[in-house]
Amino acid sequence: MTTLALYSNKGGVGKTAAAVNLAYLAAQAGLSTLICDLDPQSSTSFYFRVKPKLKRKARGLVTGGKGVDRSIKGTDYENLDLLPADFSHRNLDITFDRLKRRKHRLDMVLEPLREEYDLIVLDCPPTINIVAENVFNATDHLLVPLIPTTLSVRTHEQLLAFLEENGYASDSVYAFFSMVDRRKKLHRDMAIALLGRFDGILQSPIPYLSHVEQMGLYRKPVPAFAPSSPAAQAYQALWAEVQKELLNVR
Amino acid sequence: MARFNLPEGCDEQQVEELLTGDFPFAVEEPVVERRAIYDTFDWRLFNRSLSLYHAGHELAVRRLSDGKRVGSLAAASAPAFAWDLAEGPLKDRLEPIIGVRALLLLAEMHTLSRTYRILNADRKTVARLVYTEASPAPGRDVPLAGAYLTLLPVRGYPKHARQLAAHLRQAGFTPAEWKDAYLAALEGVGRRPGSYTAKPDFQLEPDMRSDLATKRILRQLLDVMRANQAGIRADIDTEFLHDFRTAIRRTRSALSQIRNVFPPETTQRFGGEFRTLGSLTNQLRDLDVYLLAESAYRAELPPTIGDDIVPLFDYLRTQREQALADVITGLDSQDYRRILRDWETFLNEPVPETPEAANAALPIIDLARQRIYRRYRRVVKDGNHALEHTQDELLHALRIDCKKLRYLLEFFESLFPPKKVARLIRQLKALQDNLGEFNDLSVQQAYLLRIAEELPVSDTRSKRALVATGYLVETLARRQQVVKASFAKTFTDFTSPGNQKLYRQLFATTEKRSTS
Repeated sequence: MTTLALYSNKGGVGKTAAAVNLAYLAAQAGLSTLICDLDPQSSTSFYFRVKPKLKRKARGLVTGGKGVDRSIKGTDYENLDLLPADFSHRNLDITFDRLKRRKHRLDMVLEPLREEYDLIVLDCPPTINIVAENVFNATDHLLVPLIPTTLSVRTHEQLLAFLEENGYASDSVYAFFSMVDRRKKLHRDMAIALLGRFDGILQSPIPYLSHVEQMGLYRKPVPAFAPSSPAAQAYQALWAEVQKELLNVR
Repeated sequence: MARFNLPEGCDEQQVEELLTGDFPFAVEEPVVERRAIYDTFDWRLFNRSLSLYHAGHELAVRRLSDGKRVGSLAAASAPAFAWDLAEGPLKDRLEPIIGVRALLLLAEMHTLSRTYRILNADRKTVARLVYTEASPAPGRDVPLAGAYLTLLPVRGYPKHARQLAAHLRQAGFTPAEWKDAYLAALEGVGRRPGSYTAKPDFQLEPDMRSDLATKRILRQLLDVMRANQAGIRADIDTEFLHDFRTAIRRTRSALSQIRNVFPPETTQRFGGEFRTLGSLTNQLRDLDVYLLAESAYRAELPPTIGDDIVPLFDYLRTQREQALADVITGLDSQDYRRILRDWETFLNEPVPETPEAANAALPIIDLARQRIYRRYRRVVKDGNHALEHTQDELLHALRIDCKKLRYLLEFFESLFPPKKVARLIRQLKALQDNLGEFNDLSVQQAYLLRIAEELPVSDTRSKRALVATGYLVETLARRQQVVKASFAKTFTDFTSPGNQKLYRQLFATTEKRSTS
């Protein structure tokens, strides 16, 4: 069982798209997969046509227990389940703050689910507060989408510095290039420069492509509505690399 | 998962009409599948309430009670034996059940399925309804074996599944068991699950005439012999021969031990015939036993000489080909057919009204008690003797005594309280296992030494094989001493006061029971 978090402390970098497509490809490859929508904007839940609301009585990510199990929804795809977003996630940081073992709440909630699933994918909100620390404590690997721009580099440096300062292992952090525009010279140059600068950068970039944007229109993962499109191929290549580098599949 | 039978005259179109309006749906492309069902000849999987089948590129096991999958693995076809399965949890689970038996293709089921995805207002799938048509062979002209609906709930949407199930029931669809499809497929090809067992359940009534009861036992044993002939000929697995031989041994044992129920000339004639029949298969069985133990033998050897033993087994394999040919010739012979025909004629004859044989008209319960108790006391006596004198020959003799007692207990099991007899058989089995292992080890040593003499020694390879064989004989001899040392304890357990009392209670004649 592996837990993988799509994480960035910057918004709009392609986290949710990557989480949805990678989870879908994992399920297609036969892994029993759960995708958890931790983002109060609930885009992941939207893509899978699931209402972003936990059941009444059902319990969410704060307290955990049997209620989490009851909130899980089957998606339209075999082997792929979803833990929908919860509007109360908006105040997740404040709630966590009040509880015991406040930085390990998420880990505790996921614990009973680890038996059931081969892979748990977390789609995280763009923060670097206590919610993020809960994510760091609950996952085996962080997978960070990186737009090859100067600003992204700064953010990534900040993340690595934060992890180091707070005693989290930075060797479990992987990154891939996201929303890459090949026509931009800056993107090309930055990509080359960054490959040498950080460890754990994967070789398969996700280009900026209209099919990725159309996910919202179809409300499906890209490989489900455009299986042979360049976008689907890009995610497939990234998934293959994730399997090899992170999940140690040969 | 819930399965429904279609009401009379209902077809796919009506299923579609039933959904229209109340349950928005999307239809998927139909899926054609061939499902092949496997089990061993003696229904080992069915007896554990499991079904093994191959479909698509997958081998899967389901529980018959509820259709729940308990394991699967990717495989282009089903293997012939459990040991050929790819390593993994499925093999770990199946190998102890299937043992040395071959997996036989029992039936094929060809299905055409179409999935209706039931959608909510967001066009999200909230349940799946699968319409399936099953037939015993592919093609359009083949008559359908049946059609059914399967309702697959989607996690987190229980209400939708419940509503749909209620809707179906209201429209006359009746809940079906998963088992039904399995049984229907087998029935389609005329197979009855559990129809064969190596150890028949001899159902007798206490006051039956003894000759009649004995004939009933023998009749069932004849059925076992016949059932295994084809499998021996086709060389499917080694158990066909084993079961065949056991049925012959039981037959001989019944003839000699259930005394004076038939005319003496009959008992004598068939006793002799079945002895000859049994010996016909001795060599093949011996070779089977050694070849089955090949990997176990190799594991006994130190790694440096592990491969040296291979020429020995190659030699045994060529020997086996000849031995099998001899057995098949025997089964095809006029003699064999005549013996079985005459035997069957005798078993089918009505019993004489005023029989000459002394015990023929005795109620079987009396004869059973007498024979079992006598044999039991003999085992106790011989065992005590063996305890004092610890000679190998005495242990061998005791092993034969025990086997006879075991057969008697099994023949007459139905006449006595099942739990008590089961306890006696369990205890006897522990003793038999000990004696059997002791005997196997000494037979194996002698056999290996004899084969070593036969083995052509021309090159280094065969010389090394001789060295490895010698090592093996020594290992077996050492283990035999360990087994012998544990005999005293096993036998003392067998003759425990509780066990003795139980034998007395169940089998001693009335006056003996009261005086003791």
